Amino acid sequence: MTPAPFVALRKPLPRRQFLRGTGVALALPMLDAMRPVLADEKPADTPRRMLAVCNNLGFLETGFFPAAAGKDYALSPYLSILKEHRQDFTVFSGVSHPDVDGSHATEVCFLTAAPHPGNGGFRNSISLDQHMSEYIGVKTRFPSLTLGVNVVKGQRSLTFTGSGVMIPCEDSASSVYRRLFLQGSEAEIERQIARLKLGQSIMDSVATHATGLERNLGAKDRERLDQYVTGVRELEKRLVLAKDWERRPKPTTKAREPKDPDSSREYMEKTRLMYEMARLALESDSTRLITLFLDSTNSPAIELGEVKITDGYHNLSHHGKNESKLAQLEAIDKWHMKLLSEMLGKMKTTKEGGDTLLDRSMVLYGSNFGDANKHTNTNMPILLAGGGFRHGQHLAFDTKRNYPLPNLFVSMLQRMGIESSKFATSTGTMRGLELKG
Amino acid sequence: MLNQKCTGCHQGKTPAAGIDLQSLAFQLDDTHINGLWVRAHDAVEKGMMPLGAKLTAAERDAFLKSLGEPLIAHERQRAKERGRAVLRRLNRYEYENTVRDLLGAPWLPLRDQLPEDGIVARFNKSGQGLEVSHVQMARYLEAAEQAIRLVLDATGAKPQSGRYYARDQGPMIRRMKFGPFNNHPERATIPLLGFDAQPEVIAETAPMSVGPKDPKTRELEAFATTASTYTGNEMHFDGFTAPVGGRYRIRVNSFSIWAHTEYLPAAGDKKLKAWRPTRKKTSVGRGKEPVTLYALSKAKEKRLLGSFDVTPEPAVQEIEAYLLPGEQIMPDASRLFRSRPGWTGNPDATEAGTPGVAYRWMEVEGPLLTPAARDGYRQLFGNLTAKRDEKGRLTAVAGKEADAEGLMREFVRRAYRRPPQEAEIQRYLGIARAQMQPASGILEGMIAGYTAVLCSPAFLYLEEQPGVLSSEALASRLSYFLWNTAPDADLRGLGTKLRQPEVLRAQARRLLADARSRDFTNAFLDYWLDLRKLGDTTPDQVLYPEAYLDDLLVESSLQETQLFFRDLVNRNLPAANLVDAKFTMLNSHLARHYGLPPVDGVALRPVDLPPGSARGGLLTQASILKITANGTTTSPVLRGVWILERILGDPPPPPPPGVPAVEPDTRGATTIRQQLDQHRSNPSCAGCHARIDPPGFALENFDVVGAWRERYRSTEEGEAVQGFGKNGFAFAFRQGPPVDASGKLATGQAFRDVTELKRALLKDERQIARNLVRQLIAYATGSPAGFADRAEVERILTTTEKDRYAVRTLMEKIIESPLFTQK
Repeated sequence: MTPAPFVALRKPLPRRQFLRGTGVALALPMLDAMRPVLADEKPADTPRRMLAVCNNLGFLETGFFPAAAGKDYALSPYLSILKEHRQDFTVFSGVSHPDVDGSHATEVCFLTAAPHPGNGGFRNSISLDQHMSEYIGVKTRFPSLTLGVNVVKGQRSLTFTGSGVMIPCEDSASSVYRRLFLQGSEAEIERQIARLKLGQSIMDSVATHATGLERNLGAKDRERLDQYVTGVRELEKRLVLAKDWERRPKPTTKAREPKDPDSSREYMEKTRLMYEMARLALESDSTRLITLFLDSTNSPAIELGEVKITDGYHNLSHHGKNESKLAQLEAIDKWHMKLLSEMLGKMKTTKEGGDTLLDRSMVLYGSNFGDANKHTNTNMPILLAGGGFRHGQHLAFDTKRNYPLPNLFVSMLQRMGIESSKFATSTGTMRGLELKG
Repeated sequence: MLNQKCTGCHQGKTPAAGIDLQSLAFQLDDTHINGLWVRAHDAVEKGMMPLGAKLTAAERDAFLKSLGEPLIAHERQRAKERGRAVLRRLNRYEYENTVRDLLGAPWLPLRDQLPEDGIVARFNKSGQGLEVSHVQMARYLEAAEQAIRLVLDATGAKPQSGRYYARDQGPMIRRMKFGPFNNHPERATIPLLGFDAQPEVIAETAPMSVGPKDPKTRELEAFATTASTYTGNEMHFDGFTAPVGGRYRIRVNSFSIWAHTEYLPAAGDKKLKAWRPTRKKTSVGRGKEPVTLYALSKAKEKRLLGSFDVTPEPAVQEIEAYLLPGEQIMPDASRLFRSRPGWTGNPDATEAGTPGVAYRWMEVEGPLLTPAARDGYRQLFGNLTAKRDEKGRLTAVAGKEADAEGLMREFVRRAYRRPPQEAEIQRYLGIARAQMQPASGILEGMIAGYTAVLCSPAFLYLEEQPGVLSSEALASRLSYFLWNTAPDADLRGLGTKLRQPEVLRAQARRLLADARSRDFTNAFLDYWLDLRKLGDTTPDQVLYPEAYLDDLLVESSLQETQLFFRDLVNRNLPAANLVDAKFTMLNSHLARHYGLPPVDGVALRPVDLPPGSARGGLLTQASILKITANGTTTSPVLRGVWILERILGDPPPPPPPGVPAVEPDTRGATTIRQQLDQHRSNPSCAGCHARIDPPGFALENFDVVGAWRERYRSTEEGEAVQGFGKNGFAFAFRQGPPVDASGKLATGQAFRDVTELKRALLKDERQIARNLVRQLIAYATGSPAGFADRAEVERILTTTEKDRYAVRTLMEKIIESPLFTQK
């Protein structure tokens, strides 16, 4: 393929770009990296973040979904593992992406909601994190991170750019760590700076060109060209900021570089490490946007402590009501909840301003499958934690005629401070989800 | 008169229709206020106002004149000062075509790299809707550089050809073997030798292939499938991956087969018996089967390349198509069923057997050295010497300062649609100079400079000055109208001669006669008729199981409308054909869908409709009927509004806020007509709905995918129906209440069905033509026909009346009109 285009330099972490670290990062307090980088962002502006996780085999419905709706719902068996966070998340039922069908094929649409991934002529569209990144990506060193566990290399990801390019998942936790905390090589930094400078000089040049053309135009036409100049200057500003990041020392951390598990059977350990990396990335404000794709379909019979797993994860999901398989799946599902609970707990212990890290981070967790055994893509299991919403509720919608999940994405965009009234097939904002007072 | 006859109702706290004429200023610069005065004018002209008071002809004319004259004067003055249209950038269709032409790479994927364009007056052609933000600019910057690099990569590729045997393809071999996720014979491939199944290969007691040592036998080996390609049942040729973008010749050796069946239980469910292929016995096919070829990307996106028929006799089918780097080829036997988990039967399978398609091999040749591909490098680097790495990728271009200047001068000249200024050339040459690196010669510098040119305002914006257009601006308008791209060398070479009416007309004819006018047809229809939204809704799985997952139907119906409209232009047929025509474009799949006499093969062609057929015209085409439905139900209101807006050019006012849409009942208890009757008993609704609903009712005989129906389908009430859907699920819908497609137009004309509705609408052919002219003006000039343009629209209509408003003549008259030749 072609070398990375100018702007793609500011795109998520490319896979397998191991850094030959030239030494340990300069000592710099983490919060210093959090100072606002956009002139129009007031210091008082609260940083907003997102971590979106998809497990492409979903969960057993009976374990996941609570029976009753509303604030006083009784936690389901799985959610009771999250009970200490009850007030910090909302669980949804009866939601799905409209017209997103085609069983496994839908995994690439979890964050895009592009219709009919199975059909001929399918083209994916921009994912939620990239939509956000086009606005806030410039505020951090990495506009976004695309992470994965056991992912089929280069073929599956939750992240698609506005140009329709799939960003491959980074599946090594140690590589993420090095990227976050170790300085890049001088040559690499120089190369990136040169390219960003070029983008900047192109923008400066075309803006001046436009100003020259404006002289011959009437007022109405000039207004249109002014809009072009504004867009150009805004991009130029962003390229300058991006360039600044290259010279700014990376933050330090007390966390040690993790050792990547050797086998894809260590699925849960890999997942735990990626949660840890995601948390560190958010905490150090290295990025505010992370997607994590748990490719369960591509996972073998996984290791799960005391519980003996007899079959590959995908095979288990086709349980056909076999009791042994159901029991194993339930054990796996619960382990997932345990890891999620641990991460949410840690995010609550990190403070920023008067808030916890979780208050400022929307953690979207779910699956493209409502029921992987039957391959249904409706009634998706979805949970949103943190982010400063009024949680502690079960928003239950019609399980026969689902409520559009893209509406939740619109609410999340707005929470991010982005003035969007639409995302993919949304019809509004998520009904019943309100901001914390 | 206003004071006497209008302000009685139109004033006070709650003026009629929310319009307070007493305090309404005569501020025509305000678009909203201007629109209200036009509405007032039209209401009186049509005799809808004043309510309850009769005007004498003299009174009416005086009023219309006193209101109309200042409206016209104001609009003309404004057009004189700033033009009818406002400055605009290229939309993403135009951007894609223009960059493709400039770089000589018709395969470049650019449209989807840019944000969606805003729509004004229904089209993506108005400056008001074509916005620019930093996001848009970032996408331009990225798209332009990527395009240039993709093209340069492609220019070094040597054409290659190879044959890829089905029996060597991983995805086909994998689908032959049963495993945890592949244990149904109808979803598995069948190895064949000649026409006969080879169970010994499945049992792995014989090798997968005899291999190259026995070419004669190898030639007879194949893999067959009895199902369409879909998630969980994917098969494609993974032996070939397009190395670079370009045009490729793809040849597929394939044939249809007949697989023998037995009444067998499913592997996972012993109780579930169905007719299933045994995979032990196959024979020669019993007819043609359509096959669609898709280009499959790494991220599993599927681009339609083309389709062909396979016959019982093995034969080689050839198509030429553009491929992008990294794409592979996926064939789909599109008519066959697409089993979804939980299916209980195959609609194609019986005791007698089940149809299938077999592939022996695929050959790919390319990238073909088309003239454009040969010129790709020369257009960017002239005759300068290129250095390439072992993969053929460009690493350096040896050139001097003067070379760079010459190249930039030529590139800017071709990119800008008017003579460039010296300062413009120097500006982008400056960017290039700053980027030159010793290691790559002038390569990186020129890429940077070219990228900048493609982001520059003179490339992205269509420059027009008020008054008569310059010959360059006129050439651009003509070309972006009829080809949706920049003017070609011939058009640019004409200079000021283009402003001579007979030269302009000759050029319009040349452009329209060229195959590239397809880009006008498709882009115009994408917005006028919303054809771009054809795939947005899915037929409901329960109510329309035969159409659910039917990609071939969607692809065919899109082509039907595109080819139909193109035919009206090519053959210069009367505009009335939009409402009713004696022919339509069909292939075998569409003919069956419409219940018409059989048509052979997958290619669409004009077919005369049998006498008495309800089909003919846009309203009865599957594409339009699908776009105007939601996949589950049809609404006479939505379809009625659509006809008024798109076909009759008489849009109803927007619905009052807070009124919920009528929700059709799919349980089969009530019909939409009963529900709407209730709605219309409310007098405040009745006014508009008397106009909206009737034409929509006439289309009730067509379901959500445009098939004829005399009964609604329901989920609960009515008789059950036997059969299996394309997804293999047993029919669960029922025959609901009968359809009543009769109605009475607002003009008082009653009709029994769609045929009579069409006849009624055709009483006013001029109105149908008027609407088409207005849509074309908005598309071609970037500004809708305004109040002051009405006289010119009527003049165009009058001059074409004797040809019954022939479509191409209408287009030519628009092009000759000052609406087109002035800004």
